[in-house]
Amino acid sequence: MVRLSNVSHAFDDETIVENLSLSIDPGEVVAIIGPSGVGKTTVLRILALFLEPNGGSITLDGKDVWSISEEQRLRLRRRIGMVFQEASLFDATVERNVEYGLRVRESWRDRLRDELWSVLGSNGTPGAVTEALELVGLSEKVGQEARSLSGGEAQRVSFARALAYEPEYLLLDEPTSDLDPRNTALIEEAVGEARDRGIGIGIATHDMHQAERIADRVAVILGEGVAEVGSAEQVFENPTDERTAKFVSGELVY
Amino acid sequence: MPVESAVPLVPAVVDLPFREGYVRSIIFVSLYVSVTAVALSTLFSLPVAMIMGFADFRGKQFVKSIINTGMGFPSVVVGLLVLFTVSNQGPMGALELIFTREAMIMSQFVLATPPITAITLAAITGVNENVRDAAHVLGGTRLDVALVVIKEARYGIATAILAGFGRAISEVGSVLIVGGNIVSSGGISKTRTLTTAIQLEARQGQYDTAMVLGTVLVALVLTVNAIVVRLGDEGAMR
Repeated sequence: MVRLSNVSHAFDDETIVENLSLSIDPGEVVAIIGPSGVGKTTVLRILALFLEPNGGSITLDGKDVWSISEEQRLRLRRRIGMVFQEASLFDATVERNVEYGLRVRESWRDRLRDELWSVLGSNGTPGAVTEALELVGLSEKVGQEARSLSGGEAQRVSFARALAYEPEYLLLDEPTSDLDPRNTALIEEAVGEARDRGIGIGIATHDMHQAERIADRVAVILGEGVAEVGSAEQVFENPTDERTAKFVSGELVY
Repeated sequence: MPVESAVPLVPAVVDLPFREGYVRSIIFVSLYVSVTAVALSTLFSLPVAMIMGFADFRGKQFVKSIINTGMGFPSVVVGLLVLFTVSNQGPMGALELIFTREAMIMSQFVLATPPITAITLAAITGVNENVRDAAHVLGGTRLDVALVVIKEARYGIATAILAGFGRAISEVGSVLIVGGNIVSSGGISKTRTLTTAIQLEARQGQYDTAMVLGTVLVALVLTVNAIVVRLGDEGAMR
């Protein structure tokens, strides 16, 4: 389990996340919803061990990740994947993008050997890359330059890239905000399959319908702390928190 | 590397007023000094630009302003400073580098480093921050992230290296001061480069030779510039 306990974070004296506690278990999808600017991306970056919070603690399977050495933290960090709102693909082929996470986990000797084989053109596509691309329906694009893909395809490759090295937790930062309904459906389907494999998923979204469709639990952030967390049905149909009730009914609360 | 070769520089039917060995040796010295200086400068500039691009530290703006000032620093002043450094009374006097190719390499290193560092820094900082972050969250170490950034900025870095080479090979003031424009008794260049030879030949009224040397220099610089433009186009298309 990855858990945030009373986490706070500020950028240049501006508090973005305040006293927030949240956890993600393996094999569940937790949707983090809230209005724009409330700090959803910051929460995900803290969960990805990408950003050290100013206050509070973050634990992975009970281990406080910011009180251990950088090398130990790297090992924990490599159990987590993240997909940004913008696809952020490297200037390389789809295959090279998707295999990146696998490559950096290899020893330098193996990496150099693979690079050499790759230059000689005798390196086959790793099975994990093919599998991840099949999951997002893009296996036929394996040799294409990543930057020539459409926005929807690029985001799906981004998703495959984070899945290829089989993380235990996957964090998605509004991955479908710029996508058409077809690509959105494909990503949501892939999220479901990833959950079925036992991956714990945190997804930041401002699309409440999406949260309702894919999440096992929904956490509502409306400023300090988590305003409400529970099943999608409970949060959207019977919220116990007054501000959550206003937010899900479309009122401006932040 | 031998400067005399069995392959003639120009066809035998063409009667030119200079000895081929002389011109070949000048081209060799020019390329040897410029390529070595730029190679060393690149080895120095790349990590400096990476540190400048990645790290925040006190005095970063000051270092940036020094680099920018260095881009426009007069080459004769650089030559003068290197001359003081390698002269008998200078801190490196014991190495007896005065009027050697090594001293010329030093001065060209000083001249090529600012443009290479500045253009590399611009290329590195121009890499989309999300791409850096992606390399990090996918499990990359700091070195992995740095390698991704270098790869993403490769066209800009190549442009920087070629720009540095362009400045080094076409420079005349400092190599004249620290190299001395010396030719051996056999008529083979020791520290004479294309630029210093052109200056000397023109001053002595040997305009034909000066024109040939000038043509070689222009051809080299044009080739380098064509590569820079091509790389710029390729980088812009991506």
